[in-house]
Amino acid sequence: MNLANLARLRDEDLAGQASTAQARALMESIVSEERAPARVAPARRTRRALALGAVAVGLGAAVAIGVGLPGGPATRYANAAVSIERAPDYFSVTVTDPAADPGRFEEAFRAVGLNVTVKTIPVPPDEVGRLIGPVVPAGFRGPGSIGVQGVAPCAAAFCGKVWLPAHYSGRVVFGIGRAAAPGEPYADDRPFDPLGDEALDGYRSHGRTVAEVRDELHRRRLKVGYRLYWTIPDGGFFDQGVTADRIGDGWVVQGSRHSSSDTVDLYVVPGPEAGPAPDPKAVYEAEPQWYDLED
Amino acid sequence: MGADPHGRFVDVYERAYEPILGYVLRRCRDPEDAADVVAETFTVAWRRIDELPEGDEARLWLYGVARRVLANHRRGELRREQRTEALREHLASLPAVTHTRSPEEDFSPVGRVFRALPDGDRELLSLVAWERLDTRQLATALGVSRNAVRIRLYRARRRFARALATAGVDHPHAAMLEGSSL
Repeated sequence: MNLANLARLRDEDLAGQASTAQARALMESIVSEERAPARVAPARRTRRALALGAVAVGLGAAVAIGVGLPGGPATRYANAAVSIERAPDYFSVTVTDPAADPGRFEEAFRAVGLNVTVKTIPVPPDEVGRLIGPVVPAGFRGPGSIGVQGVAPCAAAFCGKVWLPAHYSGRVVFGIGRAAAPGEPYADDRPFDPLGDEALDGYRSHGRTVAEVRDELHRRRLKVGYRLYWTIPDGGFFDQGVTADRIGDGWVVQGSRHSSSDTVDLYVVPGPEAGPAPDPKAVYEAEPQWYDLED
Repeated sequence: MGADPHGRFVDVYERAYEPILGYVLRRCRDPEDAADVVAETFTVAWRRIDELPEGDEARLWLYGVARRVLANHRRGELRREQRTEALREHLASLPAVTHTRSPEEDFSPVGRVFRALPDGDRELLSLVAWERLDTRQLATALGVSRNAVRIRLYRARRRFARALATAGVDHPHAAMLEGSSL
């Protein structure tokens, strides 16, 4: 017998179903919903320390969004750096000049009722102009949700939607990506992807030893940084910046990522000599974050 | 990326609704549950329309979403929604559904062996035999490399063949996978 015969039905048996009244009604019901952002940062303070499965976090957060969104009359404000338009439940932000003075961005946000701090931060070339945040350094407390979602197509440096409760009283920080100078460390924002981050063209560091990957980096005249890649029992992980003397040559590399134009950080699985995992919160607190630094 | 999210979603929905409905009905014991799984799958597509790939890749992407929604459903995490009530009734009355057994009710020897396979093997073989996906399409739907698909498929076929032999089913001609014997 053919395995296909075990199927209850074939797609051909469903011809015409997409145009039934029930299928159309479902479609209308779905598109009547406000689309929620795919990526939000409600727990920004601990996000990097405990970067859990990205897909699960994304989906969970998308469901959580949609309560206590900003309301009030629509306002529009534009200057040479940015234009912001207030929609009923989000703000449309278009960044035209990512190199402008951060004060111009703050002025525009203030004009639509958002009292936020904006910092320009050094990023890799492909992230120049990106709006990063909103970050609430003290930890976001509801009601409401915060987040940003890029919108495409986009004819400017960045187009996106921002969610933030109106009149939020805590300190809120946005970053605007600017091109990092040669050798200047990037402001680390995106969580490490343990299955996908590879810094070198045509070379996979994952699964190789530290010594092997370091040789390849030196061959390419790149400097090496080290981060221990600690996994925790519930399936999450966190990473910890360490000096070279804390790393064994035979330990295995999980992935690699540019930390500046001339340096690649290796994310290394701790060998048995590394000892027990540290407290992720303490590791996180020990590393200054771009949004914690005062101007 | 398509022009406006609404137009793009309508286009994807019209093209992918029947294949996704078929995918879900073939895996749901109760056709009424299928309505909620389909609704949730397309709701995810609407929320993440900016990430949805172009052309037929959208259908493959949606198989991946439907697979996860079904898994949640099996863990009892899917709600029955009021908006799917009409669709539930409609699906339960479809002749193609009412006149056939669900996979769980197939007690043929091959059906029993197939049902006893590990979930990953069963899903992989189903995607080939039921959704008729080739290696490239499987790689897209499952989010893994083509090479990984080839290896997994080889192992799944081999385990299925062994299980058939153990069950006393005349192998290798008893079970065909899209025209080729195991």
